[in-house]
Amino acid sequence: MATVTLRNARKSFGSVNIIKGVDLDIADGEFCVFVGPSGCGKSTLLRMIAGLEDITSGSLQIGGREMADVEPADRGVAMVFQSYALYPHMTVRENVGFGLKMTGHSKADIEKRTERAASMLQLGPLMDRKPSQLSGGQRQRVAIGRAIVREPDVFLFDEPLSNLDAALRVQMRIEIGKLHNDLKSTMIYVTHDQVEAMTMADKIVVLHGGIIEQVGSPLELYHRPRNMFVAGFIGSPKMNFIPVTVQAARDGNVMLSLPGDGRMTIPMKGDLPAAGTRLTLGCRPEHVAIGKEAAASGALQGTIRVAEYLGSETMFYASLADGTEIAVKGDGLAAQKSGDILPLSLPAAACHLFDAQSNAILNGDLTR
Amino acid sequence: MFPTPIARTAPWVQRIYKWLLPVALVLWLLPLIGIAVTSIRPSSDLAAGNYFGWPSGFNFIENYSTVFENSNIGWYILNSFKVTIPTVVGAVGLSCLTGYALAVYKFRSNLIVFFMFVAGNFVPFQILAIPVRNLTLSLGMYNTTTGLVMFHVAFQTGFCTLFMRNFIKGLPFALIESARVEGVSEWKIFWHIVMPLMRPAIAALSVLIFTFIWNDYFWATVMAQSADVRPVTAGMNELKGQWKVAWELIAAASIIAALPPVAMFFLMQKHFIAGLTLGATKG
Amino acid sequence: MAGLRRKRWNQRTYAPWLFLAPGMLMFSIYVVFPIFQSIWISFYDWDGLGPKTWVGLDNYANLLDDESFYTSLQNNLIWLLLYLLAIPAGLAVALFLNQSVTGIRLYKSLFFFPFVISQVVVGLIFSWFYAPDFGLLPKIIGFLTGSEIAVLADERYATYGVIAAGLWPQIAYCMILYLTGLNNINPEQVEAARMDNAKGWSMLWHIIIPQLRPATFIAMVVTVIGALRSFDLISIMTVGGPYGSTRVLSYFMYEQALSEYGVAMGYGAAIAVVLFAIMLVFISIFIVRMLQQERNG
Ligand SMILES: Nc1ncnc2c1ncn2[C@@H]1O[C@H](COP(=O)(O)OP(=O)(O)OP(=O)(O)O)[C@@H](O)[C@H]1O
Ligand SMILES: [Mg+2]
Repeated sequence: MATVTLRNARKSFGSVNIIKGVDLDIADGEFCVFVGPSGCGKSTLLRMIAGLEDITSGSLQIGGREMADVEPADRGVAMVFQSYALYPHMTVRENVGFGLKMTGHSKADIEKRTERAASMLQLGPLMDRKPSQLSGGQRQRVAIGRAIVREPDVFLFDEPLSNLDAALRVQMRIEIGKLHNDLKSTMIYVTHDQVEAMTMADKIVVLHGGIIEQVGSPLELYHRPRNMFVAGFIGSPKMNFIPVTVQAARDGNVMLSLPGDGRMTIPMKGDLPAAGTRLTLGCRPEHVAIGKEAAASGALQGTIRVAEYLGSETMFYASLADGTEIAVKGDGLAAQKSGDILPLSLPAAACHLFDAQSNAILNGDLTR
Repeated sequence: MFPTPIARTAPWVQRIYKWLLPVALVLWLLPLIGIAVTSIRPSSDLAAGNYFGWPSGFNFIENYSTVFENSNIGWYILNSFKVTIPTVVGAVGLSCLTGYALAVYKFRSNLIVFFMFVAGNFVPFQILAIPVRNLTLSLGMYNTTTGLVMFHVAFQTGFCTLFMRNFIKGLPFALIESARVEGVSEWKIFWHIVMPLMRPAIAALSVLIFTFIWNDYFWATVMAQSADVRPVTAGMNELKGQWKVAWELIAAASIIAALPPVAMFFLMQKHFIAGLTLGATKG
Repeated sequence: MAGLRRKRWNQRTYAPWLFLAPGMLMFSIYVVFPIFQSIWISFYDWDGLGPKTWVGLDNYANLLDDESFYTSLQNNLIWLLLYLLAIPAGLAVALFLNQSVTGIRLYKSLFFFPFVISQVVVGLIFSWFYAPDFGLLPKIIGFLTGSEIAVLADERYATYGVIAAGLWPQIAYCMILYLTGLNNINPEQVEAARMDNAKGWSMLWHIIIPQLRPATFIAMVVTVIGALRSFDLISIMTVGGPYGSTRVLSYFMYEQALSEYGVAMGYGAAIAVVLFAIMLVFISIFIVRMLQQERNG
């Protein structure tokens, strides 16, 4: 078991900087998830921790020990690859025991650890099959088993479930969660899947263009995003962003003019923006209310462009007076259709305000 | 599929195609069929001017046994095997190593080394011949099988490296990384993980190199003077001079000389073609 | 830990060189160094045994006055141009055979067959095929025109006769490359083009041939190299004759420096260097092209 600490870690391939200075503390036994758009450097960061990529500059410590000159095998990490990377010419048993055998562990020890991993992951009946005779989920389990037998301090997963179908993904997600509870090792997990990130993580790291945008617990990121990027990235469908102008600001309140004739007042802490400032207002589709009559604070009108009736809920995609597109989650029984005018309102308590230039958050900690 | 599958064309096209196929094949192989038929003709046929007609007799056994009795061809064939088999083992073995190094490791001169092998593989033999012959002489290996093998191994390593490197590049790199994280040493990764997966490549290369070396004529001529070490290709040239117009014997000898690679081809067709067409599909 | 990091000196740094060492050593000794040695020898007058005499560029100057050199050069050019016909011919045969009727696999193998046979045997087969009095070809020509031609004994036709023999296996090789290429074209793409109303020639030209580019590239490489390396067939079929008219540089070099009577090492080396220089042009083109492919992933 070990902590993982990165200090100003950088990575360049030739002259291209991919990881541009990452500071991160992962506590012992924590389940840490890296998310971010494709190509933002999640895999690269994970591979730096594994030792598969050299760190260009900065430092990496695992369990308090500097790792720059340590071989991958000596870092006390185990990695599970997206493609599983099972050796196709070996049986499951050989696959699981291979690393131990090659590093000179005794037969008895290999046997013991293999059996333990097998019973943990219900691999028993599969032990003498070749990977080609396994299903996707079974292969994934073997790959995890191969990591377990090494009894690492830190598990690294690079999108381990992305090749599985939806149902299996849910099942494996739960199994990995259980595994984390049993082993209590530190785990670092890269994923594209919001649900995986939200359900599994103790801590989510949002990466974007090689830098960390925000680190926090799932709900923290959801309710207290630090900037528009995180606000837009976490949550699905994504948060609506509406351009607004400050009319007046006093006594801890800002009055905003919304697209169309709407206005709204939002309580705000700290320095208030000057009248006339342009801001971006963020509100999640599930927080936008439908059907409130005009004149109330935060009222808007949208023309429905597309309506998706999903049974349990209805998604409306509407455009506001200034052309801004907005998504609204409505009741499953909602009957409005494309072309209808949709009266909407934004509850002040569910709104975030962002600086229109820097995209940094100004107001909107929904958990306060 | 292109062209349009024949099964989906008009019936008359299908009928023409059915006829055309064997006719085209016979025309294509006409020289070969001619030589095969000649090889079983009684010599009286040739004397009487019956070159193309139906053979007046079936002299398979007579002609082929005459070839073995009247010439060193059996010896030449043995020599060819003595050159070919060690070359296959040597070149394929060396290129497993070089191919692995160039496919798996990133180092600055990687591409330079790789293209040295590739470019060397294309040079004309004549630019190598004088120095290689001198070198072989000074090593005391001139006119020996070993001398020929040494050169062939070295030269074929170029092509084999190209082949092996591209093959290993096609394997999932995660297998190697996964083993590295598990602490497996580089040599053990090569031996326990990559080598077992290279079997198809080794098979393909082996049949190819076998054919290349068996069919080599230039080096057989330049590096082997005496009949003791002469491979069958160079031997054939000698027999041609010796038998002049006894075409039934030359034909039979040609067929004997061609047989081993042909057998290799038909036995290992899939590997042979996979080897030859490497790179014809991507790039 | 600021500043420069020492490069990690580990297994992964030296392992590639250990793997490369034996192969590189052999290749250097037998292929790379000899190229430079040949260039060096080409500046000497040397009979292969006695002392070498430095003659500078004399060997090259002599080449320019040598009728045989021009004949060889011209024949090399003819070889190259005619050999390139193997590429379209191979494509044509491949298109003809790219069907799935019963027995087609055997047909493909048999069409490929000539490539497997050594050039020595191909040379013998064609010598017989062309032989005056009893060869098949003179008979056919005689039947058509009334007078038989001894192809290999006639200065006008001998080179073409040898090239035809060489084309036979070369077409087979190109055919197999194209068959593999055709086999790997995504059938859905062909269907999609059919929906776009491409058929026959327009399909071939706009959809199929562009997709066959990798196969065409390899066919080019092996055909050009094969043409410039031509030696076996000439040695077997004509021994350079009649009157040296079928010599090419590779055979000319052999005559001068390697054959039983060839003792002009310096002169032979100079011929080899010229041939090497010609090939270097093509090798460079190929390498640049392959390098681009590497760079593009
Ligand atoms: N070996 C390499 N050489 C050069 N560039 C690389 C290399 N490996 C990765 N990159 C680049 O680094 C960037 C980050 O890659 P990385 O694989 O870490 O992204 P990722 O966040 O894992 O994306 P994905 O979600 O698609 O897996 C990409 O732009 C990629 O092109
Ligand atoms: Mg990735």
